[in-house]
Amino acid sequence: MAIFRLHIPLLDDLKAKGLKETLRAKTEDLVTRVTAGLGTADVRSVLRDDPPGRPNPRLKPHAEGFWLHMKPTYYHNLVDGLYPTFRLGWLSTFFFAFEIVTGVFLMVFYTPSPLVAYENMRNILSNVPYGDLMRDLHKLGAELMVAVVALHMVRTFVTGSYKKPRQFTWATGVILLFVTLILSFSGYLLPWDQLSLWAVTIGASMVEAIPPEVVGRAVNLIVRGSPEFSANGLLRFYLLHVIGLPLVGIIALGVHYYKVILHGHSLPPGAEDVGVDTAKRVPMESRVYFMPQILTRELWHVSGLTAILVLVCTFIYNAPVLEAHADPLITPLHITSPWYFLWLQGLLKIGDKVIWGLLVPGALTGVLLVLPYFEVGPSRRYGDRRLGLSAAALSIAGLAVLSFMGSPWYKVTTSPDQEAVATLLPQTHPGPLREANWDDITLGSYTAAEWSTAPTPTLQRLLHLFDQQLGGIESPERQGVEGIMVVEDWQTDLKKVTLRVVWTEPDGTTHAYFQSAYLHRQRDGGHEASRPGPGVQEPVTAPPAAPSLPTSAPGAGG
Amino acid sequence: MKWQVALGGVSLAVLTAVLGWIALHEVDRMEANDRAYLAQAIEVGALEFESLCRPCHGPQGRGTPLAPSLNAGDLFNGTRLQAVGFAGTVEDYVRGTIASGRPVPSAGTNYPNRMPTWSSRFGGPLRDDQIDALVAFVMNWEDRALAEAQATPALPLGEALGTDITQALPAGDPDAGKALAEGVFGCAACHLLSAVGPAWAPTADTPGIGARAETRIADPSYTGGATSAEQYLLESIIASNAFVVEGFSSGVMPVNFGDRMRPQDAADLIAYMMSLR
Repeated sequence: MAIFRLHIPLLDDLKAKGLKETLRAKTEDLVTRVTAGLGTADVRSVLRDDPPGRPNPRLKPHAEGFWLHMKPTYYHNLVDGLYPTFRLGWLSTFFFAFEIVTGVFLMVFYTPSPLVAYENMRNILSNVPYGDLMRDLHKLGAELMVAVVALHMVRTFVTGSYKKPRQFTWATGVILLFVTLILSFSGYLLPWDQLSLWAVTIGASMVEAIPPEVVGRAVNLIVRGSPEFSANGLLRFYLLHVIGLPLVGIIALGVHYYKVILHGHSLPPGAEDVGVDTAKRVPMESRVYFMPQILTRELWHVSGLTAILVLVCTFIYNAPVLEAHADPLITPLHITSPWYFLWLQGLLKIGDKVIWGLLVPGALTGVLLVLPYFEVGPSRRYGDRRLGLSAAALSIAGLAVLSFMGSPWYKVTTSPDQEAVATLLPQTHPGPLREANWDDITLGSYTAAEWSTAPTPTLQRLLHLFDQQLGGIESPERQGVEGIMVVEDWQTDLKKVTLRVVWTEPDGTTHAYFQSAYLHRQRDGGHEASRPGPGVQEPVTAPPAAPSLPTSAPGAGG
Repeated sequence: MKWQVALGGVSLAVLTAVLGWIALHEVDRMEANDRAYLAQAIEVGALEFESLCRPCHGPQGRGTPLAPSLNAGDLFNGTRLQAVGFAGTVEDYVRGTIASGRPVPSAGTNYPNRMPTWSSRFGGPLRDDQIDALVAFVMNWEDRALAEAQATPALPLGEALGTDITQALPAGDPDAGKALAEGVFGCAACHLLSAVGPAWAPTADTPGIGARAETRIADPSYTGGATSAEQYLLESIIASNAFVVEGFSSGVMPVNFGDRMRPQDAADLIAYMMSLR
């Protein structure tokens, strides 16, 4: 008498067909479900590049599966090559996914609070296996993504692919461009070092200029969470970076992709008659099927690109070293916004913040967004669009010029003495003095003009650089300019270097500007054993002047 | 298409190999970063010390009448910790003192000011990372302070000079004086940059300290007790607050040099300074 009866179909199959046959059938079933329609034999034939059967089983995943729904079943062979797409749209998507993967890794070790964010960054670099690699990959990926997305837009403009019926695709693309820019920009703040805080401050300060004042102040409060960046601002940028913008991005990307499938990839401008769009009607003989050609290529591109990026980040590229902890009270000299916003910084240098920082960029954004709706010339051919293409070329040249104007080389007024010192001791990156070989910076006092008599080649190089910078200072207002570098022994493995500029003004008074820096032997990590840990207390009975423990007080050079 | 499959396979192999190679070096890399961050913390701490701590704890943390020495063997060998009954490590002691301050002086000390609270957690001005940097800098004195405590004989090496500036001194040797100034008495710690103390060497626009002493003694604004350039220099060393040159603060220079040097040392120092014109 059975109280309940257990029915396991697998057991029935096993009984009826035997183990081997059952497993085969189950595998077949599983593969067909996962690929949304392709059996193992079909998958094998795709990988082998065999001709498809009839009806083509490889079309089914496109119709039934979610992921391949977003991919066309076939492409026109005219858009399959490098031209006209240069694969930039695909690359944009690749980097979007790449940033999500590396970003999630970094998120695990990061807390968006000014109390610990910087410490977390250091922990990622010094205590998390692969942490340094992941940060480099994420940073490099972000920079490349900005470039790729921008180039994708330029390409779309040049081939006229924004024209009817793809106007809305273009508009979503513009949204994606801004999502990319702001994603990259908001990520800039998260390390919470001096560089990130101030670079982002430059950009964020623009919202404060929104007129009238009460609105500007309110928007600034909303963006930064307080009048200046602090805990609230960091949290907001973090949430924007990891949730807000990716969400907008994924939605806009979905629409963008959907529209691409809907309208097809636009053909090269010369391939079809003026005013006709034949992208959707691909003749049989021109079809390149997604499976297997495109699929194989994309898989190889993903693995190849990932390998290249990892190689580059391991052996060549390093994300900028962490600067000092963010300090809202100290603005580093020559801080700039990220390179893709330098043009905005350049605009701001022209004049009024409201006009050049808000109205002009706002108008440019608006024009970009609605461009396909009023630029309705029917022809996509280059020869017919001389005006538009020239305007695009001019705009790019203009952006380049503005970017230069945004850099410290244009119209930044600092006193030349500070400038000379900052050449050796910059405030935005380590610079020549901090990167010089520690042992070659020998103790003593040196005069820049007599650089050739310095004891080591490193010192000669540094002093020569200092001397060259001082050459530009000499003017009727500043005479008898003299540069002095003093190197003192300060602590175990620590030297104090003071750079001093002395000059005489027309009224006969002497003025000096100086800046000191402390240089530790292992500021770059070193490769020797680290210093003896705390607790080394054996009595030193040997002669006091053991080489590693100089006991003399800081020495002054001549 | 086959070459694409092959290249994809090669890429994956390369990727795996590089990740494996990184894994082999990852521990070294992380340790190097640790060392670099400690080094950078010490650099930052040195800067902070100069502006925040040095006014009381003196140049090179040698201590002043205002606050005890931090660059001293008894801090690092545990004597001072025992004296106040602190059971933790020296680093904890230093961190705790910097972070929370010292509202009550330690038993047996009588410094005129209280150690302020520095950590923003307790109402002070510094963030945690700044406290960490200061601690790293102070702890970096350990090696030298301990070695010095063991190896450097107590000063003076003979009979002390005292504080009488009119006494007759033996003949001085300028070279010996230079070695003393740059060595055992640590004058260079302060007197290297005019921004922190009068520098002794001549520069483009300022004569050396010997010539300056002669000018000063003849200047009617001088109010000290010296009657010659040599006496003026001696007074500046052993009774430095008797006259402070305009632009510098009283009480910055330690006042115990008279107890720490022999008459010969003073004579050598003065001979050296008088040779700087």
